[in-house]
Amino acid sequence: MATIEVNINLNRVEGDLEIALVLDDGVVTEARTIGTLYRGFEQIMMGRAPRDALVITPRVCGICGTAHLYSAVLALEHAWRTPVPPNATRIRNLCLIAEGIQNDLRQTFLFFAPDFCHRRYSQHSWFDDAVDAFEPFRGSIYLETLAQTRKAVEIVAHFGGQWPHSSYMIPGGVTTPADLRRLLACRSVLDEIQRWYERRVIGASLDDWLALEDAERYFAWLDTPAHAGSALGLMSRAARSLGLHLCASGTPHMLSYGAWCDPDRWSAPHDARVLPGGFYDGGSGTVGPYDQQLINEHVRHSWFRPYDGGRHPWNGETVPDFQPNSDRYTWAKAPRYGDKVVQTGPLAELLIGGDALIASLHQAEGGSAWLRQFARVRRIAVELKQARLILDELTANLHEPHILNPAKTQETDGEGYGLIMAARGALGHWLKIKDGVIEKYQIITPTAWNASPRDSGGLPGHWEQSLVGLSVQDPDDPVEIGHVIRSHDPCLVCTVHVLNTGTRLRFGP
Amino acid sequence: MSNRQLCHIVCFGNPLHGDDGFGPAVYQRLAALPLPDNVRVFDAGTPGLAALALFQGCHEVMIVDAVASGGIPGKLSRLSPNVVTAEITLPGHGIGVGYLLKAVAALPDCPRIEIIAAEILGAAPFRPGLSKPVRQAVDDAFVLLEKYAEQVSRQ
Repeated sequence: MATIEVNINLNRVEGDLEIALVLDDGVVTEARTIGTLYRGFEQIMMGRAPRDALVITPRVCGICGTAHLYSAVLALEHAWRTPVPPNATRIRNLCLIAEGIQNDLRQTFLFFAPDFCHRRYSQHSWFDDAVDAFEPFRGSIYLETLAQTRKAVEIVAHFGGQWPHSSYMIPGGVTTPADLRRLLACRSVLDEIQRWYERRVIGASLDDWLALEDAERYFAWLDTPAHAGSALGLMSRAARSLGLHLCASGTPHMLSYGAWCDPDRWSAPHDARVLPGGFYDGGSGTVGPYDQQLINEHVRHSWFRPYDGGRHPWNGETVPDFQPNSDRYTWAKAPRYGDKVVQTGPLAELLIGGDALIASLHQAEGGSAWLRQFARVRRIAVELKQARLILDELTANLHEPHILNPAKTQETDGEGYGLIMAARGALGHWLKIKDGVIEKYQIITPTAWNASPRDSGGLPGHWEQSLVGLSVQDPDDPVEIGHVIRSHDPCLVCTVHVLNTGTRLRFGP
Repeated sequence: MSNRQLCHIVCFGNPLHGDDGFGPAVYQRLAALPLPDNVRVFDAGTPGLAALALFQGCHEVMIVDAVASGGIPGKLSRLSPNVVTAEITLPGHGIGVGYLLKAVAALPDCPRIEIIAAEILGAAPFRPGLSKPVRQAVDDAFVLLEKYAEQVSRQ
């Protein structure tokens, strides 16, 4: 066979994030997060039938479409005051968990951990173990993660027919009920992931791991062979030996909407969550309830039609207005909670939700790149446990309805919001319906919170803050930046641009 | 279990981006055919690792995709997956078929894979529509895959 020479480059045109860094004597003194793509989903939604949100918004993201679908359906149900039967909420939660487990495992072991195989670390005692476990396409944990995560979203396919971009949640419930065959199939998927997670990721049973409640005991446990040899133990040893537990905390304030609607205490006017949501005030170190009215978005440094200060999403707008050669630098808005910059994600979810180990580690060492990543792996255990409970509840209540179809007359004009915890953190959809069509639609994604630019007051966003002060040994190969960027689980490929040297490096999520 | 050969034809690409719509255009033509029941055709879009599932439960996968031009736009090639290099970018939303193929190859139940690739004239972002040479390549690929499906049905 003749050799064919073609320049094969199958990269897709995709929206990117860029981070522009200024280094001063090897230390980051300034960081700007640049959203290089105008997306415009909010503009697409205007004037459409409200239920179109269930088909269009899951396309916002190819990784977390279930989360967008869930937010969209909650926003409609909130506007229409639609009752939702408990089984529907259980099925929605189960699917969201499946998507979350896939994301958390892939993000940790396909994207974050492989950075420890960087040749610069070859003198470290853990290096050979890291290469054996995490090297892309070769490492044992890397390969096992690929194989295990293929199965997780089969759960979504059982109820939604497909993953990603499915539209099976509709106002009043879901389109497909649970039956014994589906539950059995879901149980088998979860059982296999759990066995692997216990054996390979944490080196302990799920119950023992979840019972571990304070930092001291975790550090002692980290020294035991079972955990030290596990994937999480190895990742923790490597990350901590590089000081990732002491840096890149970013903003101290955190926001969680609470994980998983409580099936029995859900649908308007109730808003109970299995893991409570709230706002963690990094100044006082206290958790309190959050008020969605305090959420607002600024465009002072963004390429949108200018307005003063911040606007609540119900009054928000997303009108593109590219202004090059100004101090505006991104297609992302700057969401704020009151006047505070917040971070969101698994760390916020578990800290605010009351996970004792995360709270203890946070108290002992503060937030950090390592703790964000550690919390992501910890959350998988919480998700697996919750998923098992959901399957038990569905089995015990098989005869109950999966949908209460609202009468057409209930689909009135009004306003609503749907707030959930997606894999990457707090996700919200806000809408206003007028004359039977969508008048306004606003989406604030987790990455919008975390990767936000400066606001009207000039306050940098969470990532921007987390990078300042970081020492970079080699500006042409800033592996330190990679650890921090990936610990935020960016939802887009992120290009880091070192302004002083012109170096450009791309980091995947 | 039957020993019958199961084949997936997996078409990649984004029809909004000029000639990158080659794969989806071939899909449209194939999907209109009454294909044998051991051949399944998929419009995969640009999914990255989400497409891993399309490489499971079958013996062979024919990938249909666009490649950057080596000088003859519209030229159709049958390539082996090992000539496709992984992208410079790492996975996530920026993952490409190269990374996906490496991941498939690393898994124990990897099917046989062949790539039907058309060299493109251009893939300008958000300029839908195929160039003339790539439209011709769609016709050629369709004829080739129709024959292929016929062969598979006899196996």
